[in-house]
Amino acid sequence: MAQAGKGKLNFRCPSCFMRDLDIDMFYDKDKKEYYCMRCQYVGTEEDVLEKNEMVRFRYKDMYKRFTKFDFD
Amino acid sequence: MDKFIVNIIHRPEMVPEYAEKVTGHGKEENIGRKSLLTESLDIFKFQQETAHKNGLKTTIQMTYASLFNEEAISIAKEHHEKYGDEIALSLLGLPCEEFREKYKTKDFCIWMFSMEDKKSIVDDVFGKFHDIFGFYPESTGSYYMDAELVNYIKEKYPMVKCAVATCWEEGPKAYHTCNNSWYTLMDGGPWNPWIPSKQNIHAPAANEAEDSGIVAIPHLSRDLLACYDGNGSNFGTHPQNVLRGMIYDTKTWEFPYLYNLIDQYRDLEKYNNGYAYNMMFVGPGWLNKMGRWEAPYELLKKSYEDGMAYYGQLKKEGKLTDMTMAEFADYFRQKKTYTEPECALWRDILYGSDKQLFWYCDPYMRACINMNQGGAIVDLRPYAAKLKWEVGIGTPHVQDASYPFLIQEKYRAGYFTHYAGEGTVRSAKLTYNGEEVDLCLCRTHAKFSEEVIENGKKKRILTLEPVDIEFYDLTVKLQTRVIFTEGSSDIEMERTVLSMSNPDAVVDLNEYIVACYGTTEYPEDMTSLTLTCKGKGEEKKIDYAYKCREAEIEGADSVEAVIPPIETKVSMRTSDEKATGYIREGYAFSPMFTLGYKMTLKDKEVVSTWLKLEKAN
Ligand SMILES: [Zn+2]
Repeated sequence: MAQAGKGKLNFRCPSCFMRDLDIDMFYDKDKKEYYCMRCQYVGTEEDVLEKNEMVRFRYKDMYKRFTKFDFD
Repeated sequence: MDKFIVNIIHRPEMVPEYAEKVTGHGKEENIGRKSLLTESLDIFKFQQETAHKNGLKTTIQMTYASLFNEEAISIAKEHHEKYGDEIALSLLGLPCEEFREKYKTKDFCIWMFSMEDKKSIVDDVFGKFHDIFGFYPESTGSYYMDAELVNYIKEKYPMVKCAVATCWEEGPKAYHTCNNSWYTLMDGGPWNPWIPSKQNIHAPAANEAEDSGIVAIPHLSRDLLACYDGNGSNFGTHPQNVLRGMIYDTKTWEFPYLYNLIDQYRDLEKYNNGYAYNMMFVGPGWLNKMGRWEAPYELLKKSYEDGMAYYGQLKKEGKLTDMTMAEFADYFRQKKTYTEPECALWRDILYGSDKQLFWYCDPYMRACINMNQGGAIVDLRPYAAKLKWEVGIGTPHVQDASYPFLIQEKYRAGYFTHYAGEGTVRSAKLTYNGEEVDLCLCRTHAKFSEEVIENGKKKRILTLEPVDIEFYDLTVKLQTRVIFTEGSSDIEMERTVLSMSNPDAVVDLNEYIVACYGTTEYPEDMTSLTLTCKGKGEEKKIDYAYKCREAEIEGADSVEAVIPPIETKVSMRTSDEKATGYIREGYAFSPMFTLGYKMTLKDKEVVSTWLKLEKAN
């Protein structure tokens, strides 16, 4: 088994991102998957992208444009 | 006199902080790589071009490495002539072969060097700059500049008038986000420009004698709610930080959040005599061709172009003034008095919580009032102590540059704790027939107002919407006002009973502060603290020994704590002369102290309690 390297982009671990940790994942070309060194997350690029959509759940106002900043 | 000012800063960093590590993966380290130098310069050119295209002038912060690069130098000269850009000098971007050769180290953060090295580096960098341009710079900066460093620069190069001197709440949270490998520990400073004191860079100068001689600006304008809770590097006026936070639509590549953030900063003029400020400073490492994390280069580029276009549009609409750092310093000095605070009533613009915070910063304190917790103080930094806190190799704080807190709800729990003990907070409890309600549980919002006092000074007043406190058979409608008097180090909390469902009822009110000291998430040694309850001709004292002791005096004049490690005295007094003052020691599982007053409250009554911060030698 060969050493891991960088993937197409250096995706971060979605699971660690959820706990405010930016951890670059490495790519295992034999298994065609990204893996996290810090936690146990493993996933294909498709899975990473899907989980990245999920981590946005807390940004309820991500699409909203505010015009008022007080509650008067 | 509404004025929204923006400082756009670019630095030709020949070896971007991230580029070598992130994009150079799989290659042996070589900071002289030709491709790295070319790419870095290309990014700088792109950034400059994007600003100019939108009619914005910039401050070009030359790095030490770029002073060895003829192309970078000639671009700076040309853009200074053509666009009025300021040629300044950054203390970021030190790494290059010449630097490594001379200093034999890979350190790159100016504040972490020994004082001897700081002086030598400053002289080298300023000297080299002078050799090339024939003058000394008026602006400089880094992510953090300690007071000792600024004092040296000002003494040796008095023309320096502006510096990027801190990055708001970039501390343990940023460290954590980087898996404890990014050592920028600099919590506790102002979020908007200030005149730093000679004693401590975070703490604004109270008068001319304390004036360091520069105007400090923060590195980026950061979200005053999101950055306080989460990773600071996701929520600032740095388009790629917004991408880092994944706050964009992956299909359309839109990110309204950045514009909401800029607009909320613009809105702060309401609380600061018509003045508002923004700073954008994107290092070249964020725009590299390999992409950054999930974002491909095209998105990085688009986000920079869009961000700059928004500032450009505001300028065209007459809603923005672009300035260089030196121009800004002149403007700021002419508009600002030493005692005028910086105020920010800030709402959540990202999570949909309607949470509202009020940040207040003056020469005596930085305080955060949380309307989602009934107007409790959830962060408090006692600038009144103007704590001498040297940083760098050879000092007790090699990396830790934070201004210590007395209250910090994220590092010391705040209202909610697990099973036992108390967290730091300044709030009040109401008790009736054995039921107790803390105002921290009353979610509300506030309005801001001002009241002129004397010599042009003002009171800044936060008036909270009244809250209902429901006991089993009594409802109390209570209003809180939090009052900051310019030039004083007091925070007044005024409670008014607007109505009671039983007008004859009497409730107990307990005004309190739970505090400790620290700069990180971990507890500090409390054994040198003393707590004192002062009455008329009577005094009770507790020398902190984790023994869970308590003392009280009826009609106490004041309750006080002296915290020698941060040279701070914090005290409370109240308008109710009959109130019982108390002091409470903590214990090992709750390494805090409490100061407070217990009193009774009837319908229509008004009572004030003042928290005061002083220097204790
Ligand atoms: Zn992980």
